[in-house]
Amino acid sequence: MAATPSPVRQLSRRSVLRGGLGAFAASAAGLPLLSACGGDDSGGNAKEMSFWNFYGPSDDQGPQSKWFVDTVAEWNKNNDVKVKLRYIPGKDYLNGTTLQTAFQSGQGPDIFLISPGDFLRYYNGGVLQDLGTALPDEARKDYLPGLLEARSVDGKVYGLPMEIEPLAMYYSETAFEKAGLSEADLPKTWDQTLAIAQKLTGKDRYGVMFETTPGYYQNFTWYPFMWQGDGNAIKDGKSAFDSPAAVQALKFWGDTVKNKVAPRKALGDGGGDVVSNLGSGAAAMQQSGIWAVADMRTKAKNFKYGIIPLPTPDGGSAATDLGGWAFVANSKGKNPEAAAKFIAWALGSTDAAGIERQRQWNTVVKTNLPPRKSVQQAADAKGAFADGALKKFVSQIAPTGKPEPRFPPEVYQPIADAIQACQLNAADPAKAAADAAEKIDTFLNTYQGAPIS
Amino acid sequence: MKIRFFPILAHVLAIIAVAPLLWILISALKPAEDVFNFGWPSTWTLDNLQYVLLKIPMPRFMVNSAIVAVTVTVVALFFHSMAAYALARLRFPGRGIIFSGIMSTLLVSLPVILVPLFLVAKQLGLLDSYAGLIVPSIFHAFGIFLLRQYYLNIPRELEEAADLDGCGYWRRYWSVILPLSRPVLASLSVLFFLANWNAFLWPLTITRNPDLRVIQLGVSGMQGQYASAWNLILAAAVIAAIPTVVVFVAGQRRLVDAMKTTGLK
Amino acid sequence: MVTTTAPPAKPMARVRAKPKAGMTRKRREALAAYAFLAPDTIGLLIFVAIPMVLAFGVAFFKVDGFGNYSYVGLANYKLMAGDDQLWASLRVTATYVVAFVPIAFVVSFALAMLVRNHFKGISWVRSAFFLPNVVSLVVVGLIWQFLLVDKRGALSKLLAPLGLGDVSFLGTPSLALGTYVVISVWFLMGYQMLVFLAGLKDVPKELEDAAQIDGAGSWQRFRYVIWPLLRPTSFFVVVNSTIGAVTGLQAFDLVFVLTKGGPARATSTVVLYIYEQAFTFNNMGYAAALTTMVVAILVVCTGLMFGFTRGGRFDED
Repeated sequence: MAATPSPVRQLSRRSVLRGGLGAFAASAAGLPLLSACGGDDSGGNAKEMSFWNFYGPSDDQGPQSKWFVDTVAEWNKNNDVKVKLRYIPGKDYLNGTTLQTAFQSGQGPDIFLISPGDFLRYYNGGVLQDLGTALPDEARKDYLPGLLEARSVDGKVYGLPMEIEPLAMYYSETAFEKAGLSEADLPKTWDQTLAIAQKLTGKDRYGVMFETTPGYYQNFTWYPFMWQGDGNAIKDGKSAFDSPAAVQALKFWGDTVKNKVAPRKALGDGGGDVVSNLGSGAAAMQQSGIWAVADMRTKAKNFKYGIIPLPTPDGGSAATDLGGWAFVANSKGKNPEAAAKFIAWALGSTDAAGIERQRQWNTVVKTNLPPRKSVQQAADAKGAFADGALKKFVSQIAPTGKPEPRFPPEVYQPIADAIQACQLNAADPAKAAADAAEKIDTFLNTYQGAPIS
Repeated sequence: MKIRFFPILAHVLAIIAVAPLLWILISALKPAEDVFNFGWPSTWTLDNLQYVLLKIPMPRFMVNSAIVAVTVTVVALFFHSMAAYALARLRFPGRGIIFSGIMSTLLVSLPVILVPLFLVAKQLGLLDSYAGLIVPSIFHAFGIFLLRQYYLNIPRELEEAADLDGCGYWRRYWSVILPLSRPVLASLSVLFFLANWNAFLWPLTITRNPDLRVIQLGVSGMQGQYASAWNLILAAAVIAAIPTVVVFVAGQRRLVDAMKTTGLK
Repeated sequence: MVTTTAPPAKPMARVRAKPKAGMTRKRREALAAYAFLAPDTIGLLIFVAIPMVLAFGVAFFKVDGFGNYSYVGLANYKLMAGDDQLWASLRVTATYVVAFVPIAFVVSFALAMLVRNHFKGISWVRSAFFLPNVVSLVVVGLIWQFLLVDKRGALSKLLAPLGLGDVSFLGTPSLALGTYVVISVWFLMGYQMLVFLAGLKDVPKELEDAAQIDGAGSWQRFRYVIWPLLRPTSFFVVVNSTIGAVTGLQAFDLVFVLTKGGPARATSTVVLYIYEQAFTFNNMGYAAALTTMVVAILVVCTGLMFGFTRGGRFDED
């Protein structure tokens, strides 16, 4: 602690007074204090860039943290403009104030991670840097169709996806055995899901589990059930949310709770956390994403589970949601050009080292589907998707997937409210859907940002 | 012997009140797989506490929290007692206005001014530093108010003795008022320490450097990284709570007296 | 009121004080007072008043969260009328205040009466009631999440014999707000109990004894001796807990950790809604306007309370 300047000394009355004068001067200037922040040191060519993320360097120093640390170390070894990682725990990154307060005051990170749900908010705020010049054509072509488009506006790419994360239904083999059920009983339809879940529900266990906490993640996991009935939230620039497909999906989630076969509150980190729910025996089936394969591998090695495609409504077709976070650069950051270069290098390099780096991330330290063809080939060559749950994800589930929609908060919120009200408050799905549709339309009437998809 | 009803009731209620805390303590001492077992643990283990202390920089978080909480407490009590002395004992133009001005800041709480406060802190160069954790937390009207109430009740004769000796106001404050406030300062320091040790929202907003993380951020971060490991989360919670319990037990006798002498009546 | 207001200074002392050259005593006293007040006043100005003024200013702008501002006049205030979620969250906060403030008041007052007079083990009992208050709200949130886990949590296990084993206290909209009230009371009762105890210490024992001799029952002693003397304390407790319940950390930290405003917005308090507007929607301008409205409501409420109780008689020397 010797290196720490004594806080007491910094607190002399004089320094407080001096601070006071500074603030008075600032407040006399009034709003410029606020608005000037954005431009303080933008567009510069500073020698250090901050990279905010929710992986590393974390306290547990797990493999995912290590991947971030190693990648950055590799870059720093060969480049003048250094990257400095800042770890923010996932919960605070997703729901906290850290990023927002920073951007609000022009102190945003130079490089950071966003999910599709965040894309338009940041794009419309004018803080996303066009990665164009940094990204060679070769790299562009290596990405699977649709992925870059979901992070582009007017043909310009603003973010590089690091992974593809489809959703599936996980089930516990032990729970099925205990209930006297076999693989033949695995549900294919919603009705079967409700019936089987009934049998699996016991004193300590729920038959099936969907995300219960409101948020972008819950919406993300719910969309596939709407898509299965060929519904969508927005069609042709207008809300299409009050469709039978959305109504029946709202009703399905509500029924699982009404029948007491699904929990009202998930454990641990919620629906995305298979270890805490399925793994602890609190749920017999759980909707979650491909990342859970790696989680189970490290934290519940001996737990026997399988996956199936998300059950569909009668007459519906299979569908899932393809999530995945992307690296983006802050156009008002300290060195946006270098930040774009870093991103293109870290995720887009087509040389052997670049492909290996991506393979490590997507199939070794974490389990995702690689977003790039060359990486997929490299992973296949190592047999990463040769068997088990991952094979099913690749062959059966991912092909039915659509990229996660990039709805701005004003579209996300009415949908989230409808889901919550129907799932947990026994609201009438038709009415909830109509209310949400009306709100979305009101917003769309005055919306002027980039196209919503 | 007549057994009195109310004392027994009080004991029963006290047990109910602390039961949740005790249950957490017990659960933190259970092996991971027993954490939801409703009963006395079959085996006791210190593994959870050990893991949290050794594998996670909990000690570092605690040092940070201690630095912040102690500094804020000391400086705040000093400033507050000066302000309270002036408000209670000195006559000057604008006293009523200044007093109501100070009191009205009690209506403003941190969540509602988070962003503008962050902007001010940034302007003053306080981001990501101990100063940023400490300085904005010092100023709070509650302490001024309590101390003022206390000073109103100190007999004026005591001060006048000093006046007769020709002491200035500083000497009167320093050698008469301050020594007399020792008990109330001691008990307020317990409350201040607790409040600052437990602070969460402001440290979350103002710090980025992981080395500056305070204990509450550490505990909250556990929930993200070890979501499935209730045993570890609870162990971290217990560790975060231990210093507050110790401080409270050490200072608890003074608390009631403090409330009394501050004239909250 | 038993406050010992200081007796007026003796004239003799006044005469003896030696005025310093060129400055009247009055002036010196005022200067000293300003110097004493300076650190705290300046600090409060910078870290509370200026942010608040900034919030007022920002309320007239549309702010997108990335440092872009455009002046919109009163538009943010006009938005409020049609914002049904705002009204829903105001309802949640109002319900919370109406439930929490009286329950916390009665519980902590009852506890104070219970531990007022000495009995064996009293100090442990007092500490036990205060103990929840020393734990941080982050930890309190964790504790109750753990105890209230669906089906396998300790409380569910405890209630299972009554057939209430699968009640979800935090997941059922009709129960979540109540659960939040109970946890808040548990957290704050010890603190308020101490405040009451302090007030009770000032009730002169002789007065109570006299009343008893006069044949007053315990209810009458309470009603006519203790209660009137406790009015200022009660006022303090009510004002304090109302402010805390509307905008305090308990209205934010605790909800944030426990439910994030869910299920189905059942615990979405107005502070949480402001936070959501600011940080989920990046509507900083609207959030600032909401802030000023909430503070205005608080000012009116506390003003009314002052009016009804004639200031709770905080002595203004």
